[in-house]
Amino acid sequence: MSSKKAKETAKLTAVNLFFILLCFVTLIPILYAVSVSFSGQNSLLSSDFSFIPKNFTWDNYKEVLFGEDIGIWFRNTVLLAVVTVTLSLSLAIPAAYCFSRRRFPGRKAILKSLVLLNSFPAILSMFAIYRLLRPMGLVNHRLGLILVYTGTMMVFSLWNTKGYFDTVPLEIEEAAHIDGANDIQVVLKIVLPLARPSIIVTGLMVLIYVWNEYIYATTFMTGEANYTLAAGLNALQATEMQGSWPVFAAASIAVSLPVLVIFFLCQKYMTSGLTAGGVKG
Amino acid sequence: MKRFAAWILAAIMVLSLGACGTKKQSNSNELVIWHDKEESIISALSDCLKEAAPELQVVFEKKTSLTDSLKLVGNDPAAAPDLFIFAHDKVGVFAEMGILAPVSQFLDEKTLENYLPMTLQAATYHDTLYQLPLYFETLLFMYNRKYMQDDEVPADTDALFEYMQANTGRGRYGFVEQHSTAYYSAAWIHGFGGQIINENGQPFPEGQPIKDALTYHKKFVELMPGETEYNTVNTLFLEGKADATIGGPWMVPSARNAGIELGIATMPVVSSTGKPLAPYSGIQGLHVLTFAAKEKAEAVQKLFTALSQPEIGVKLAVASGCAPANSLCYENEDIRNDELVQSMRKTAEIAIPMPNIPEMDVMWTVVGNLLTDVNLSHKAIDPSFDAALKKANDLIAAMH
Amino acid sequence: MKSRRKDALISYSWSAPSLILILLMVVFPIFYTGYISLTNMNVYHWFNFSIVGAKNYIQALFVFDSGFLSSLLATILWTVISMFLQLTIAFVLASLLNMPKLRLRKLYKTLLMFPWAMPGYVSILLWKTGIFNSQFGLLNQWMEKLGAQTIQWLSNDVSAFICCSIVNLWLALPFMIMIMDGAMQSIDKSYYDSALLDGASWLERTFYITVPAIKSIIAPAVIITVFTTFKQFDVVYLLTQQAGAQTGSGFHTILTYAYENAFITNNYGYSSAISILIFLLLIVFSAKFELKEE
Repeated sequence: MSSKKAKETAKLTAVNLFFILLCFVTLIPILYAVSVSFSGQNSLLSSDFSFIPKNFTWDNYKEVLFGEDIGIWFRNTVLLAVVTVTLSLSLAIPAAYCFSRRRFPGRKAILKSLVLLNSFPAILSMFAIYRLLRPMGLVNHRLGLILVYTGTMMVFSLWNTKGYFDTVPLEIEEAAHIDGANDIQVVLKIVLPLARPSIIVTGLMVLIYVWNEYIYATTFMTGEANYTLAAGLNALQATEMQGSWPVFAAASIAVSLPVLVIFFLCQKYMTSGLTAGGVKG
Repeated sequence: MKRFAAWILAAIMVLSLGACGTKKQSNSNELVIWHDKEESIISALSDCLKEAAPELQVVFEKKTSLTDSLKLVGNDPAAAPDLFIFAHDKVGVFAEMGILAPVSQFLDEKTLENYLPMTLQAATYHDTLYQLPLYFETLLFMYNRKYMQDDEVPADTDALFEYMQANTGRGRYGFVEQHSTAYYSAAWIHGFGGQIINENGQPFPEGQPIKDALTYHKKFVELMPGETEYNTVNTLFLEGKADATIGGPWMVPSARNAGIELGIATMPVVSSTGKPLAPYSGIQGLHVLTFAAKEKAEAVQKLFTALSQPEIGVKLAVASGCAPANSLCYENEDIRNDELVQSMRKTAEIAIPMPNIPEMDVMWTVVGNLLTDVNLSHKAIDPSFDAALKKANDLIAAMH
Repeated sequence: MKSRRKDALISYSWSAPSLILILLMVVFPIFYTGYISLTNMNVYHWFNFSIVGAKNYIQALFVFDSGFLSSLLATILWTVISMFLQLTIAFVLASLLNMPKLRLRKLYKTLLMFPWAMPGYVSILLWKTGIFNSQFGLLNQWMEKLGAQTIQWLSNDVSAFICCSIVNLWLALPFMIMIMDGAMQSIDKSYYDSALLDGASWLERTFYITVPAIKSIIAPAVIITVFTTFKQFDVVYLLTQQAGAQTGSGFHTILTYAYENAFITNNYGYSSAISILIFLLLIVFSAKFELKEE
């Protein structure tokens, strides 16, 4: 028995070591940026690079946090992200549920064609979207961006949530129906808690897309007051010739951190109700 | 029930967002100008305008994807700006698209006489001037005085090569440049009497000078790093690992910050042809959109009158080292003592404005590919050139 | 009969909002591009274009030359290799992350998500200048310390292909790990318990329980990733082909190839025709792909 325990501990240590090493290797490019962001020299490159910056300074972060309009950009991004994620989920969930549980003419055809349509190389879609938003007065308007983002991510959201709904055993729902619950109650009380990981994964995916998207954000919105974080970051870099690399690196790290914090906090909820609760019944 | 509440919440959020959208007023004295320049240039401009034309309300809006956005909204008065500041090389594209108005209607002829001829020539497309020039940029020969003495500055390319041979090795370079980038190597092509494209849109009108330039330049490339992008070249020079480089005025502030004893010299002369390495120049200036020219003619006229005063050029030069397009500026004391501005003024005499015809757009990629094929992939020059010429012709044909 | 029709109606109305949005933002651009592909919208007729028929398609067929064919082959190879690596590595990592008693799993997961949290163009720039740069990049600095010859990582077709694959893997793995991890969470743990009682080995449990259980959940995400990989542009373009910073590599995906051979002409009608043709090509491929799946 004790030898089995020792074997398990050894296995666990090995896995831990493996992950520590893996995280380090994965993070090398990021650590590179971190080192540049703390450096006093204005260069992205150096002939004797070390992960510990040479002229250590907080100035670049100070400049990012106080020098640019980062507060406004942050607010814009959060607003866009919250609304887009809310809208995406509240539109995708009912649709995904229908596609997973109900049978209706055209169901399979729609599902299949959605994936195909999504494969369109969208490099040239900008013009079409402009033509669409322009008559609605949604160019240079946040609502326009929200619709673009939600629409772009909708195929993924729909398919991904549907995939999880499919795994929820029908019997559970049937039991609830017998107990007199209607469709909406079944979805809210039973399916959603069971599919919680998928909802969170989908939401995170949409969030990260909105957080990092800058092409639509810079083309459709005018003026620095309307920038998102990614657009502002891109503007910092676009003036490459005069730009400051350490400030850019600091800004990149600062922009990424909120996403990681959210991700970390969300993990608690990413365990499915199926395994956590006693619904095995 | 919960979901219903969520729906309502979402609807409210969407509506409240709708309420805070920006609305555009059509005040005939308000001019919106898009730009993608640094803060120092814009604040200098805007300060000058507040003094010179207080009745105008000029709004500068920074737009990173300026040219792409203009392609979308250029003919839409509700979404487009009234004017924009950009380099002259897109004049042809935008004029053909029909979104640019000729600017000479807003200026009297005498004013234009004060401008450096190169700057006016640059923005003239099909005999029409489409830009009020503000300042220009050219590449300059820069060196680090710590390593290259003033009397060592090569006068011709053979001397440069000798210097490179003597001073390259062990992680140090005698001279570095963005050797396989079209914008930089244009200077070499011009030095051999070649052209990337002529005014009729014919690519590589003469093949031999370009092949000669490629052949001759190759031995220089062998003494330079195998990277052609900006960061590498810039860092080598700023870290003091390269004695000399060819760079734009934008390198000067960072060189001074890095403590380089910066020397600026005229471009060396190609030994075999006697012609100097003649870089491209870019002229930054104001372009007027068609509808603004019609509806806000008076305001644009006032703006142009204010901007064609030499004081503005002087202020811009002092604020950020730009070389003014207005020749009157060079009578100013400060400008006369500014080494950087003076060297650009001098280079302006040999520099060739970037072609402004639409066909040039594809040539950047074609020439870039030709250069990397020859310099980095070590392909033979003749077939590479023929392939590039064919590609250029195909792409230009595909533009129509 | 009546209730069936009513049922279908309910289904349609529940899914209508999301489908309408897809119609607007995904389907409309396709049709619009199709329409533009029949016009002469180019620099000379930017706002006053007119229908010219199939002219652009005839012209576009010339782009599908040997260069296009080799970039198509490269793209297929690229997609197959990328997907194989992504799926296997993500599966192994997600399984390890689900090992019982791994206390620090949340920390590991969060750190492994970092590549995803940064805007893509920033990470690609970091890789290009920080890691692969032949003069200053970390790889060559390490090579020098080891006394080895420095290498121009991005100049040669094969090594550029490998470098692009690594960066693409780095960018895509976090998403795949997250999808797989989420799917594994939804497996009923009692299956494993009974399998353990039956004395099934780890491999057996993996192939008989984990893989079948997550297959259907991750399928949509995998299919979508296959398409994104196939039409990858940013990684290859920014690492090796960006104007002004080309590295001399000849590796192209069909999209970077189409970009250099069509999109830069500013001829929107012509470029649209090429987009539509690539789209049709993708549909043909996916038809084959789907048959294999089933």
